[in-house]
Amino acid sequence: MIAMESRCPCSRICPQRVGLPRPRCGVRVAAILLLHIFLTAIPARATDSGEDLGTRVMAAFLYKFANYVEWPAGMFPTADTPIRIAVMGADPLAAELATMAAGRTVQGRPLAIRRIAANESIAGTHVIFIGAADAPGLRRAVQEAQGQSTLVVTDFAGALELGSMINFAFAERRLKFEIAIDNAERSGLRLSSRLLAVALRVRTRAP
Amino acid sequence: MSEHAAVSRYCRRVVSGLAVFVLVAGRGGVAEANAADIADLSLEELANIEITSVSKRPQRLGDAAASIYVITREDIRRSGARSIPEILRLAPNLHVARVDSAQYAISARGFNSTTANKLLVLIDGRSVYTPLFSGVFWDVQDTLPEDLDRIEVISGPGGTQWGSNAVNGVINIITRDSGDTRGGFVSLGAGDAERDAAVRHGGRLGEHGNFRIYARQFGRDETGTGHGVGRSDAFGYRQGGFRLDWSAASDRVTLQGDGYDGRIDQPAGGDKVLSGGNLLTRWTRLLADGAVLQLQAYVDLTRRTYPGSFAESLDTGDIEWQHRFKWGSAHDIVWGGGYRWLRDDVTNSAALAFLPARRDMRLGNIFVQDTIGLTESLQLGLGLKLEHNSYTGRELLPNVRLGWQVDQRSLLWSAISRAVRTPSRLDRDFHSPGNAPFLLAGGPTFVSEILTASEIGYRTQPSSRTSFSMSAFYNVHDNLRSVEGGAGGLPPFTLGNSMEGETYGVEAWGSHQAADWWRLSAGYSHLHKSLRFKPGSNDVAGLQASGNDPQQQFSLRSQMNLPNRWELDLSLRVVGKLPNPEVPGYSTVDLRLGWNPAPGVQLSLSASNLFDRRHAEFGAQGMRSEFGRSVFFKLDWRL
Repeated sequence: MIAMESRCPCSRICPQRVGLPRPRCGVRVAAILLLHIFLTAIPARATDSGEDLGTRVMAAFLYKFANYVEWPAGMFPTADTPIRIAVMGADPLAAELATMAAGRTVQGRPLAIRRIAANESIAGTHVIFIGAADAPGLRRAVQEAQGQSTLVVTDFAGALELGSMINFAFAERRLKFEIAIDNAERSGLRLSSRLLAVALRVRTRAP
Repeated sequence: MSEHAAVSRYCRRVVSGLAVFVLVAGRGGVAEANAADIADLSLEELANIEITSVSKRPQRLGDAAASIYVITREDIRRSGARSIPEILRLAPNLHVARVDSAQYAISARGFNSTTANKLLVLIDGRSVYTPLFSGVFWDVQDTLPEDLDRIEVISGPGGTQWGSNAVNGVINIITRDSGDTRGGFVSLGAGDAERDAAVRHGGRLGEHGNFRIYARQFGRDETGTGHGVGRSDAFGYRQGGFRLDWSAASDRVTLQGDGYDGRIDQPAGGDKVLSGGNLLTRWTRLLADGAVLQLQAYVDLTRRTYPGSFAESLDTGDIEWQHRFKWGSAHDIVWGGGYRWLRDDVTNSAALAFLPARRDMRLGNIFVQDTIGLTESLQLGLGLKLEHNSYTGRELLPNVRLGWQVDQRSLLWSAISRAVRTPSRLDRDFHSPGNAPFLLAGGPTFVSEILTASEIGYRTQPSSRTSFSMSAFYNVHDNLRSVEGGAGGLPPFTLGNSMEGETYGVEAWGSHQAADWWRLSAGYSHLHKSLRFKPGSNDVAGLQASGNDPQQQFSLRSQMNLPNRWELDLSLRVVGKLPNPEVPGYSTVDLRLGWNPAPGVQLSLSASNLFDRRHAEFGAQGMRSEFGRSVFFKLDWRL
């Protein structure tokens, strides 16, 4: 680095004798600038990076879906059995959902969120989300879900054909979802008409 | 003018600048929906929030248990960077040095030069490295920054998955699905040294398909030396292309292509002329048993003419497949293979020659990778790639990885890999001058450079707002390129493999959402090299021929959402000095101010090297380019 033995004249900002090259002095100013903005700026609109926002919206949908699904009574052995949501192949989503679910209830029940690996059992799970990264896990999850009334939610093209019940899809720069009622009914799940009304597309029987 | 006066002026400018920013930043704002409140919106409201994409971070052990930095779409937009090399500055695990108006030196974990040869770069699965020197011509790797989905930068060897030449790193540039880029888009920008215009249009294609087409043109002024002497390297470039995506039932098909041409001034002898095009198709099928099959094929043609030194025409054809399936409850297996045809034809000059002028090359590979779930939290990955190339025949690229999910939010990983850099035309065929008697007469015995890499890393996300990643590596290099003298150290020189040594270092980065409107991220890298010549070597070029790297780099970025849809982004980059040829260390501060006056419209003003009169990033003192403060104004309009 260039050594420079001169005084930085703006001594309020760079008070000491500086052996700093000019850029470093700039750095110091930038740091002070950041601090100053932090202290003075009023929290503004809460936006996120595009990706984080997408993940949050998807997490919110997942949490909401539980309001519009009717599970067979056997899925809730006791009055305080939580609604268990499992997330496979989408760690950021799982983290977001866990933050969101803290302290909230659905149908008077608390939520239990867990992240699972592709080869883990989903016994006792009410909602499972399978991300595109774990698409190969879908077939096995669907088989297990059909035996025990788990709502299967996915986010990749062609998932409904493989047995998914709700599949997220992008449309006009918004996050939407499509529904396969036949797949849900096969697992003994009833989806409310309110949910169907918002869906991008509803499939009643396999093509 | 005395130094003192210069500093004084400089600081006054800083102070007045400061006042402006504080004014902008200090404006009060109406707090809009807090992120946590998203959960309280109705289904209809949720379905109406405009978003760009959902985070799809890699989940495979091979990626997760590696030093991978993902440059997101939002990071790209907010950096204000308009070319892929400039965007790559965001990755803390890369050293990016600008050389002139069009050239960059980019490397991971050392060995950087304008012909850096240990990094593999893929754009949507298409390898863009040139067999001429096993590196990348960065001047023709471009697209619309707006169309980028993300860039994954993996430092460390990726040979088992990506093949030879993925020695010190892999850069995976991924563009968006055309379903995400429907509608029109216009971008116009101009600055004191650059002008840029781009258009794109996308829409539906039948019930299951989408398409987009785009065109872009930019011009950059010549750069100058530290003494203000112009380098006559003004750069003009245009590119157009398309992408089609179909998805139906369990199939996805992509077809995409680009064409480009560019011109770079030279001080004498006429412009350098660059042109080329590529066409790629990829078919992915989800199989009935939950497995995934993928087929991909592409052709890539490039032309490059440097009047007075050489011209090159390179045609590449490539086909590859891979199949991923689960075997039993514990094995996740990916296997596949590929074959590549390359025809490289060089027009030689009096100054230099590639002999033979034309080379037809073949590159074949098969690989298998098994990720084994040892316990619920422990995963073991074993991989092996067998490659066959036209120069050295068979090469083996094995790799072992271990990932331990310490808890829900932390991963500890370790890996040992062997990677090779197979010979390029530069290593085997390069002669200078263009006719005998030669000073440099190729490298008839040049064999592959070999790396054995050990890595360990830790990644954690203590809260949904904070993440941190750190990795350390110890690399043992053998057969690195040397320039061997003939009898008595006299010409003709030939290229040999008598350099060896170790490199080690750490890379760390993290990000923190300090408030809903403020995100901070930082990165740091440290590299130590210890290279030497083997006994019996007659090297005449010295160790510095292997590359010129900073020992340390540091970066800090701040992204702020201000009231009234303003954005203020600041980034600081500190790069240590390069030893030989010496380039002084430097720090730069870049600033971007963005404003969305209406939905779909964005105005931005970027200033780079804000507090820096001028600095060099690469090359020997004298005629190297130096870069000073520059500003750029841009309008992005989504129709």
